[in-house]
Amino acid sequence: MRAYETIYIVHPEVVGDGYNAVIDKFKGILTDQQANILKVDEWGTRKLAYTVKKQGRGTYVLMAYEANPTVIAELERRMRIDENIIKFQTILLENGYEDTSLPTEDQESSDDSEDSDDENAE
Amino acid sequence: MSYQKPSRPATPRRRFTRRKGCRFCGDKALKIEYKEIRTLRYFISERGKIVPRRISGNCAIHQRRVTEAIKLARNIALLPFTAGQSVD
Repeated sequence: MRAYETIYIVHPEVVGDGYNAVIDKFKGILTDQQANILKVDEWGTRKLAYTVKKQGRGTYVLMAYEANPTVIAELERRMRIDENIIKFQTILLENGYEDTSLPTEDQESSDDSEDSDDENAE
Repeated sequence: MSYQKPSRPATPRRRFTRRKGCRFCGDKALKIEYKEIRTLRYFISERGKIVPRRISGNCAIHQRRVTEAIKLARNIALLPFTAGQSVD
């Protein structure tokens, strides 16, 4: 068993029961294959950095779990089929799972953008 | 580089050179992760490009981790590949 982390973006128009069903569905896919779910983190709807499937927003869900490598293939295959998932990414947690704080909605670019009007200013 | 833009006298020249030395070596608590876009924002330019090491001041090890984290964040639409697109 290795620790993995899958982050996926649910279609922004999928809310309420439909949204919960999507999350439960993928939790179910993992548990059906003897994966050990460590954390399911719902980030909520946030702006995407670029449009994905013509959507400017998306609902992020992060799942951390321990599973065998074969589980990933099945999970990603099912995500590709599901039209409510607009993007996903799985990474291997090399140092195992460690709890991290939840990132909040974008509040940065205060000191970044003010003094950076010219990129090639050297 | 001695090239000076005459039209912009008041622009601060030292844009990314405020902090000398690697931020991550100085502050061990600072994590490099694709989810921590607040930290990573500092290392991308306005255009969305990764800031080179000579400007960011990172050491080789940490610059590599930053680069990898930015690329992961781009993949999942947390950071832009380019600022050219308009998102409503």
